[in-house]
Amino acid sequence: MKYIRNYRKSFQLVIFCRQASYSSVSVVRNQNEIFDNELARQTSDIGRIEKITVNVHEKIKNETFSMNKHLSTPFNVAQHISKWMVEKSALALVDNSKVWDMHKPLEDDCSLRFLSFTDEDPHHVNKAFWRTCSFVLGAVIQNAFNDSIKVLLHSFPSPQITSGSFVHDAMVSLDDWKPSSDELRCLSADMLKLSLKELPIERLTVKEQLAQEIFAENKFKLQQIPDISKNSGGKVTLYRVGSHIDISKGPMISNTSLIGRCSVTSVHSIETDNGKLYRFQGIALPKGLLLNHFAYKILEDRSTKLNTKDYGSTKKQAMV
Amino acid sequence: MNQADLSKLVSKLRINIRPRHYNLKNPKGPEGRLERLRIVVTGLIKHERIQLNYRVADEARGYAERLISEAIRYGDCHAPTMEIADYWLTEKQLIHKLFKVLVPRFHECNMSYTKLLRLSTDHELTRMQGVLELRGNPYPPLIKDLSRNRNLLHNVLLDAARKDYRHEQYLRIAQGMSSEGKKSNEETITGNIEDKDKNEKA
Repeated sequence: MKYIRNYRKSFQLVIFCRQASYSSVSVVRNQNEIFDNELARQTSDIGRIEKITVNVHEKIKNETFSMNKHLSTPFNVAQHISKWMVEKSALALVDNSKVWDMHKPLEDDCSLRFLSFTDEDPHHVNKAFWRTCSFVLGAVIQNAFNDSIKVLLHSFPSPQITSGSFVHDAMVSLDDWKPSSDELRCLSADMLKLSLKELPIERLTVKEQLAQEIFAENKFKLQQIPDISKNSGGKVTLYRVGSHIDISKGPMISNTSLIGRCSVTSVHSIETDNGKLYRFQGIALPKGLLLNHFAYKILEDRSTKLNTKDYGSTKKQAMV
Repeated sequence: MNQADLSKLVSKLRINIRPRHYNLKNPKGPEGRLERLRIVVTGLIKHERIQLNYRVADEARGYAERLISEAIRYGDCHAPTMEIADYWLTEKQLIHKLFKVLVPRFHECNMSYTKLLRLSTDHELTRMQGVLELRGNPYPPLIKDLSRNRNLLHNVLLDAARKDYRHEQYLRIAQGMSSEGKKSNEETITGNIEDKDKNEKA
């Protein structure tokens, strides 16, 4: 319990942690500055704004919108339709084939469909949800620990829902740490807080060099970046939730408010090529889907087992 | 002691009733309020699904529930019930519908007879809207049935958990069988040896 930040608030430790925290805060601020600058640069690079026509196919009626090329996102289109559409759609389907992030600008004339968790076959949305949960768990891990403990996020494997838990691997400077149930509850609470904050999940594609600049402090990411960019034409896709930035090939759901019930259930220490890491595991359900506590407990118990997805092979993990 | 059992006098409704009625403003006062509610109750019995101001819908719902429950309780040969039906249903052919269609439909119903749903409003200034409907209406359902779709995330997870559990059970059974098999083998072997010994002695 003594390692987790929530718990710390009731102790005097806060005071002398403040100085130590300075470096980690400045790293995050620096990352966000680079991210913001790049976002602004890319927007200004668009130049003259062109119009595209977007056909939205919904069950009730089809609508046509005139949107801005490389600027308007499916999220903006949903805003034109209704508040309800904005709140419920997690992903968009462009031209009936490409799965599109809600916050990724549209590139050409297209037809659009919004995907949600209660669709007939929500396969893509479920996968994106699982991926997003791993990503948000990373944000939780990054901020949860006391400043005296060094945390370095490694990566998360591609989502596999049937494995029963979403995963994030991280290096934590603790030997043989086995979290107590209180500590796990603190982590779960942190995750819930993020979902209550209703943060949008931003997306940005950057060049390899810039990604290296952002993750200069993280030796694992620096190792992974060349491999990732090689597979996606010299580009790296970044996602941001709040102030937390991570690499992922996406797609991700539009907002953390879509995460409903969630819990971080276990932490296992694993041996990999990069030394000893901790594997954080959790389980979550989307907002609209309700499950009674008995059934949820079964899922929770199952998710405490070590998830062996991409276990130990760092190369595969880097492909997220 | 000698008090009458209230539930025998008035049928208990299966909906939540607010401690106090809504203040539905009407230029004609309480009379106008009842008139408006009569229109709503009649519309509900006629169309089986109506969309209207949420507060009015909630208020009218209680009257509609009571009307149907009285009709089920006393039938169409009961003068006071007929009088109530005559008051609440402004279109007289609906009295026929109430006793001949709705009473058989809800005769064995153990839930509320109506459903009230909130509608999302896009504009903050618009009044909250609701949909009031009779159960068993012929229209497509307003709320998706999420329990049947096996592709939804919670069902995918539960199915995977079930598969996992069964796998474990099979493993356990298999282990039990093999250990039992070993035991029985050992027993037969030792038995055979003993038999042999006996034979040799004999």
